[in-house]
Amino acid sequence: MKLLTHNLLSLHVRGVGPRGFPLRLQAAEVRINPVEFNPDFVARMIPKVEWAALLEAVDTLHLVEVPKGPIERYEHDEKFLRQMHHVLLEVDVLEGTLQCPESGCLFPISCGIPNMLLSDEETKT
Amino acid sequence: MPPSKPYSFVRYKTAEEAKEAYVTLNGKEIVDDLGQKIILYLNFVEKAQWKELGLQALPPGLMVVEEIISSEDEKILLESVNWTEDIDNHNGQKCLKHRRVKHFGYEFRYENNNVDKDKPLPGGLPDIWDSILEKWLKEGFIKHKPDQLTVNQYEPGHGIPAHIDTHSAFEDEIVSLSLGSEIVMDFKHPDGVTVPVMLPRRSLLVMTGESRYLWTHGITPRKFDTVQASKGHRSGIITSDVGDLTLSKRGIRTSFTFRKVRQTPCNCSYPLVCDSQMKETPPSFPESAREASQLEREYVHRVYEEIAEHFSSTRHTPWPRVVDFLKALPSGSLVADVGCGNGKYLGINKELYMVGCDRSQNLVGICRERHLEALVGDALAVPLRSGSWDACISIAVTHHLSTAERRVAALQELVRLLRPGGMALIYVWAMEQEYKKKKSKYLRENRLRQGKEEEIHSDAAEPGSLGEQVPDAGDQDAPCRVSAVTDVRAGGGSASKVTDAKLPVHTNRTSFRSQDLLVPWHRKGNPGRDEPVGATESRAPGPVFHRYYHVFCAGELEEACRTLSHVRVLQSYYDQGNWCVVLQKV
Repeated sequence: MKLLTHNLLSLHVRGVGPRGFPLRLQAAEVRINPVEFNPDFVARMIPKVEWAALLEAVDTLHLVEVPKGPIERYEHDEKFLRQMHHVLLEVDVLEGTLQCPESGCLFPISCGIPNMLLSDEETKT
Repeated sequence: MPPSKPYSFVRYKTAEEAKEAYVTLNGKEIVDDLGQKIILYLNFVEKAQWKELGLQALPPGLMVVEEIISSEDEKILLESVNWTEDIDNHNGQKCLKHRRVKHFGYEFRYENNNVDKDKPLPGGLPDIWDSILEKWLKEGFIKHKPDQLTVNQYEPGHGIPAHIDTHSAFEDEIVSLSLGSEIVMDFKHPDGVTVPVMLPRRSLLVMTGESRYLWTHGITPRKFDTVQASKGHRSGIITSDVGDLTLSKRGIRTSFTFRKVRQTPCNCSYPLVCDSQMKETPPSFPESAREASQLEREYVHRVYEEIAEHFSSTRHTPWPRVVDFLKALPSGSLVADVGCGNGKYLGINKELYMVGCDRSQNLVGICRERHLEALVGDALAVPLRSGSWDACISIAVTHHLSTAERRVAALQELVRLLRPGGMALIYVWAMEQEYKKKKSKYLRENRLRQGKEEEIHSDAAEPGSLGEQVPDAGDQDAPCRVSAVTDVRAGGGSASKVTDAKLPVHTNRTSFRSQDLLVPWHRKGNPGRDEPVGATESRAPGPVFHRYYHVFCAGELEEACRTLSHVRVLQSYYDQGNWCVVLQKV
């Protein structure tokens, strides 16, 4: 699971509405996957990132320095874009858990796949 | 050509030969083997459906033991049957419209196709069979001593309709001895595969397992059977090698069918055709959200988990118009694929960031193997951020939801995900598989079907494969109602729905006769790629899985989309057996 994907995850329960964003990440196994750098692509991702959630996730992973937010004229700042490229697209969480901030429910990540299925009990309205 | 009549089609290599045949044979009077005068009528047709049957296998569990009875014993055994006894209940002799029948041990009741287990017939099986049954037991042709015998006498022209012997009435093994004449018996699988099997004279037919529980068997009422000339009177499947076929006149055949009556409910592996198990959990049209969820769990989620790998191997070709949709999106778009399956579309456009969501852990696992981003989640509660996605696709997903309310809810989820201005592409299986007189590839594959077992569930097998888009009113046999909107508003059943209606099982590659149905998925039982092509035993068809579908009528998907708020329908079209909509969040 890439961190960009994590940034897009949110629990949404039928009939109840969104219950949790962001999902608290606890990673047991992380891998760095080299991905070809495409500055334009990264630049287009930046406006879609929820920074608070990203910083929270990165914090638990003890990664190298991550920008605290989009800087001015980031589209042309290669250093910034490369950093974001690495954080969003190259960090891959293989094993771990995601926790709903509201209910405390835990969802497993295994083999890089988050399993967000809610048990029947949780979906009862 | 008058309807409901049998016709023979002859294909000639050249037009000249065809013309010559026509001139020579049309209107000619011939005399048949019974001395009857027949006039031949020939006509040219524009095209004929030609079934190229490949090599077929005997239904699993089926065996024919030849020459199990000597000619001398055959005579004795046939004479032992007293057909002229007075009709009384003792030996259960009845005179049916067609064949003559006698029962021993227990009477078989045709009203409910079962035996009366509390009233065994006095006398049991005739003594003459004792030593023969012992012999068969010892030699391993049968495993249990039968306690019921039905004797059928078929004169030429008699038959018996295709049926499965009632599961709850009899144990697994059913054996049938053919004396007096050979016959061709047809075995049919719920998928539609028909296997004609020659039962030679004095042979024993043994039906166990799948051949006993799942395949139907029957005898066509006719006076001649089409048989294989080269095989003579030996047992085996009648293939479609036209050059080797000939007619064989039927004689009087007396069959002795031995069965063991079951005293407990049946617990076979074929619940959908089992009367014991169907009484407990018949898959029927869901009446509540809980039932809907259970139905989907059993007949969608569980099935895809089981067939994931095989399913994925048949889902390799992306549909062009879906590809077009994805390729037209601006670079850097965020796209959600809800019901992504094996991730077929996730890697199509490298300029997009696509995340797949599917209910099946195994299918998502396949996405992961291909280094695609995917997660396990439910289409009714997609675990993705609202209002953040530039586009969504939902390809062949919504038709797996079993109530109109749930289908609309799934569409609502797509809209929830979209940012204002974002677009969603939705594909669902169409009820109308024939459009503007052109059959979808799904239907057209029918004639190739029996010959190409591996292709059975290829991409072309299910709608949405390459080719024609011919939008127009379909000409269907089943009445089509647009149920999506009415059901939601009425909050329940529509007028034409029958309560507790059982879901029909669809025959693959035929037109849909119902909007809600179970579609078989046929997984091959471990065939190796190098398996020798004539090995009838090892080419056993594997288990059948049934998937629930609600196929959509013309306009139904569009109607459902229009009920959603903040939505504009941009496109609505038909693509190779699918109804498709592009909508935009406003």
